[in-house]
Amino acid sequence: MESERIEEYLEAIYKRQGREIPVSTSYLAADLGVSQPAVTDMLRTLESKGLIDYKARMGASLTPSGEERALAVIRRHRLWERFLTDVLGMKWDKVHKEACRLEHATSPDIEKGLSSMLGNIDTCPHGHAIPDEKGNIKPEKHTPLSSFRPPQKVRILAIENENPKLLRRIEKLGLRPGVVVTVLKKNKDGSLDIEFQNTRFTLDSAISSVLAAEQMPVTSLPTDEGEIALGRLESGEFAVIKTCGGGRGSLGRCLSLGFTPGSIIKMIENYRRGPVLVRVHDTEVAIGRQLAEKILVVRKEAS
Amino acid sequence: MIESAKAKEITVALAGAPNVGKSTIFNLLTGLSQHVGNWPGKTVEQKTGVFRQGDLTMSIIDLPGTYSLTANSVEEQIARDYLVHENPDVVVAVLNAASLERNLYLVAELIELAPRLVIALNMIDVAEQQGMKIDPEALSRTLNIPVVPIVARANRGLRELIIQVEQECGTAAGLPDVKHIEYGSEITNVIDHVDSLLDDGITTPYPKHWTAMKLLEGDEQINKLVRARIPAERWPALDSYLREHESAAVTIATLRFEWVARMMAVAQQKRRVGQVSLTERIDRAATHPVSGLVILIAVLGVMYLLVFSIGVPIQEFLNINLIERTRDFIYSLSYMPQWLQGLLADGVLSGAGTVLTFIPILFLFFAAWAFLEDTGYTARAAFVTDRFMHALGLHGKSCLPLVLGFGCNVPAILGTRIIDSPRARLLTILLTPLVPCTGRMAVIAIIAAAFFGSAAVLVSIGMIILSLLIMALVGLILNKFVIRGKSSALIMELPLYHVPDLKLIGMVTWQNILAFIKRAGTVILAVSIVVWLLSVIPGGNVNDSVLADIGRFLEPVGRLMGLNWQMMVALLSSFVAKENTIATLGVILSGSSGDFTQQLKAILTPAAAVAFLVVQVLFIPCVATIAAIRQETGGWKWPALILVFQTVLSFAIAIAVYQVLRLFPGM
Repeated sequence: MESERIEEYLEAIYKRQGREIPVSTSYLAADLGVSQPAVTDMLRTLESKGLIDYKARMGASLTPSGEERALAVIRRHRLWERFLTDVLGMKWDKVHKEACRLEHATSPDIEKGLSSMLGNIDTCPHGHAIPDEKGNIKPEKHTPLSSFRPPQKVRILAIENENPKLLRRIEKLGLRPGVVVTVLKKNKDGSLDIEFQNTRFTLDSAISSVLAAEQMPVTSLPTDEGEIALGRLESGEFAVIKTCGGGRGSLGRCLSLGFTPGSIIKMIENYRRGPVLVRVHDTEVAIGRQLAEKILVVRKEAS
Repeated sequence: MIESAKAKEITVALAGAPNVGKSTIFNLLTGLSQHVGNWPGKTVEQKTGVFRQGDLTMSIIDLPGTYSLTANSVEEQIARDYLVHENPDVVVAVLNAASLERNLYLVAELIELAPRLVIALNMIDVAEQQGMKIDPEALSRTLNIPVVPIVARANRGLRELIIQVEQECGTAAGLPDVKHIEYGSEITNVIDHVDSLLDDGITTPYPKHWTAMKLLEGDEQINKLVRARIPAERWPALDSYLREHESAAVTIATLRFEWVARMMAVAQQKRRVGQVSLTERIDRAATHPVSGLVILIAVLGVMYLLVFSIGVPIQEFLNINLIERTRDFIYSLSYMPQWLQGLLADGVLSGAGTVLTFIPILFLFFAAWAFLEDTGYTARAAFVTDRFMHALGLHGKSCLPLVLGFGCNVPAILGTRIIDSPRARLLTILLTPLVPCTGRMAVIAIIAAAFFGSAAVLVSIGMIILSLLIMALVGLILNKFVIRGKSSALIMELPLYHVPDLKLIGMVTWQNILAFIKRAGTVILAVSIVVWLLSVIPGGNVNDSVLADIGRFLEPVGRLMGLNWQMMVALLSSFVAKENTIATLGVILSGSSGDFTQQLKAILTPAAAVAFLVVQVLFIPCVATIAAIRQETGGWKWPALILVFQTVLSFAIAIAVYQVLRLFPGM
C-alpha cells in the first residue's frame, strides 16, 4: 500500500508542476483529498527516499528519479484509460477512477501488452500525452479556451479536469480533443460564446477554463516565396500586395485606400523607423510602422 | 412670345476627395452667399450656399472631403448620411484629373447611392502638364454619366457644369443606364443572401441591398444599426454568416478597383510621363527624417516671424491707440455717470476690447494655417512628427495644432479639426491649454524682467520648458489611464501639393475671424463685464470689492505659494485675457509708492515670484480658449474638467516650487 500512496503523490506533484514549481502543500491536499498535515508527513517520507526536494512553507518539486517514477505511473494510468474507453467502451467520465486503481497493479509485462494492443496511441481520452516507455513525454502547449481573444478558430486539445460531472457536461456538448471551435465572444461573467458545428452556444467559465486548446494556423493564402512585410521594402522599390492585415477597423480603411490584393505599390520613403510613405493607386499614403508590418507584399521589378 | 419658365429650385451636393478644388468651385458658385456652420452634432464644418442664375435657384452643399463612403471617419459618415437622408437632386462628384485613379473609387461608391450624378473633372490643366491626356467624352459614354472638364482655379468650365446639372435634373432619378460595377455572381450571391436575411424597412433610410454590402464590408456604423433593429433571435444567424464571409470585404474592394482600372483604360489616352511626379520630388525632402524636420522648423519659423513682426506691432498699436485712447476719452466725458464710464472703459474695453486687439495676430495665424492646409503641407508635417507624437498617444497630426498653440490657444483648438481620430483629437484639445501662448509669455516676460533683471530670459525659457514637460507628463497619463481606447494606427492620404487658392484662404480666414468676433461679442464680453462688476461692487473700489474678497478668500492657498491676495486677484483676472494680470496688478498696486518693479519687490520674495510665474504659466486658459474648447468638444464637460484640473495642477506645482525654493537662503 505504501508504494501505491507514493505513486499517487508523485503523480499529483507532476501534474501540478506544469503550473507552479515548487508545488505547495495546500494544492496537493486539495488534489489528493487529504489533510495538509498528512501531506506534509508524506512529503517528508518522499524526501527521505530522494524522490522530491521539499522545503517547508515553499513546497515540493520532483527530483529526476522522482520524475521518472511519476511518468511511469502516468503512462500506465493513461494507457489504462485508453483501454477502458476504446476497448471496453466505458464512458470517459468513469475511466479515471478505474485507472487510478489499475495503475498500481500493473506489471511491466501487462504495460507492454497494453501498449502494443492499443497501437500507436499517444494521448489519453482526455487529450493528455502518454509518456513513452523511456519516460519521454511530449511537452503540452495548452492554453485554456478562456484565454483566447475572440474571434478566433481554435482546436481543443485536452480537458484539464477529471471531475466526472464536468466531463459528462462536456461530452454532451460534443466537445472532445481534436474538434475545432470558433471563439466568438467573451462575456462579462467570464462565460464564452462559441460556435461549433454551425451552432452557437455559451460555455460557462467552469467549462471554458478546463478546456485546453491551441490556435489554428491562420488560414491565409499559402505563403509564397518572397512574401515580405511592406515595411521591409526599400525606398523606390515596387511590390504587389498579397494580404492586408490589421484589425477590422484599419482593414476597412486600408481597403478603401486601395490596399487590395494584387494592387501594385511603390515604396516612396522608408527610413526604417517611423511611418513609411507609399504610392498606391495614384495616391501617396502614409502608414504607421506597425500597420506596415502587417501588410504582406511580394517584390516586383519596376515596369 | 416667350413662355415664362417655371422658377426652378434644386439642391446640389458637392462630393469629392480633399484637395480636389471642391471648395474653390463652391466659392465660385456661391460667392458671399454662403453659410458656414457645423454638421448637426458634429464638429465638422458644414458649408451651404445659394447660386442663382435667371430663374434657377441652386442650393449647394459642400460635403466633407472623403476618399470613400465607408464610415471610416466622421467625414465619410456625414457625406453618406447626407446623401441618404437629404436626397439632393444632383450630386456633383468633383474629381482631380491629375489623380483620377484614386478619385474614381469615390465614383464607384457614389453610383450606388446618388440619385443623379454629374462628374466635374477638375485640374484638367495640371493633368496635361504632367503629360496625361484624358478623354472626358469617352469616360462619359462608358459611365453614362455627364463628365464636364473644368479648371476651377481659372473659372473655366463652370458654366457648362451648371448647364449639365440643370439638364440632369430633368431626367428621372436613379441611375438606370449607368454602368454599375459588376461584382460577379459569387459575391452577388453572398450580398443577396445577406439581403434576404434583412427584413424590409429595418434599414431605412439606407437602401437594403446597399446595407447588405456595407455589412459585408465590415462597416461598423451599419453593423450597429442593423443589430439594434433586427429581431434579437435572428441576429446570430446573420452575424455568423457575415463572419464566415469576412473575406468578402477584400473581394468587394478589389472588384471596385478593377472597375476603376477599366474606367482608367477608357478615359486615359496618354499615361503620365516619367515615374516621379513633382509631389514625389518635393516629398523626398519634405518627409525625410532630417531635412523634413528642418523644413518644418523653417516653415514654422517663417510663420512666427510673420506673426510677430507684423501682428504683434499692430496689436500693440491698436491697444495703445484704440483701447487706451478710447478709455481716456470715455473718462473725459464728464457728463457720463461714473458707473457707465467704468463699465465701458474697464469692463467692455479692457476685457473684450483687449481680446479684440488680438484679431490681427489671429488673422495671421488663421491665414498661415489655411495656407499650409491648402498647399497640402500639413499632412507632411504630420508625417515627419508622427514618431515623436506617438509616445503621447497622439498622431503626427496633433503636432501642428500644438505648435500653433504657442501663438494662441484658440486657433490651435480649432486646428485640431485636421485630426481624424476622435480620441487623438480630444487628447490634443486637452493638452493645448498647457502650451504657453503669447499672452502668458508676455506676463512671464514682464514679471521676470521686473524681478530677475538679466536672468529674465533664462527664467522665461525655464517656464516654457516646465510647461512643456508637464504637458508631456499629462499627455502620458491621460493616454495611459484616463482616456480609454487604443491609439489608432496611422494611415493617411497625402494630398497632391497644389498652388494655394488665395481667395479660398481669404474666405476660410474671414470665416474663422468672424466666428471669433462673435464669441468676443458674447461669451467674452459677458465674462469681462462680470469680472468688472466683481471688481467694483459694492464700494466702487477694487480693494474692497467682491473680487478682492475672493482674493482674500483664496489667500490661505496663496500663502502656501507666497502670494498675497493682490497677486491672487491678478491671477484670477487672467481668465478674461492672460495679459490682464499686468493691468490688474497695475490697478491694485496703484496706491503704493515706487514704480512697478519696486511695488512688486515689496510684496514678493524671489521664491514667491518664481511660484507666481509657475502658477501663471500653468493656470486655467483664458475665456476665449474655454469657449473654443466648448465649441469643439460639444459641451461643458471637458471645459469644466480643464478648469478644475488646471486650477489644482497649477496651484499644486506652484506650492511645491515655493516650498522648495524657500529652503534656500536669500529666496
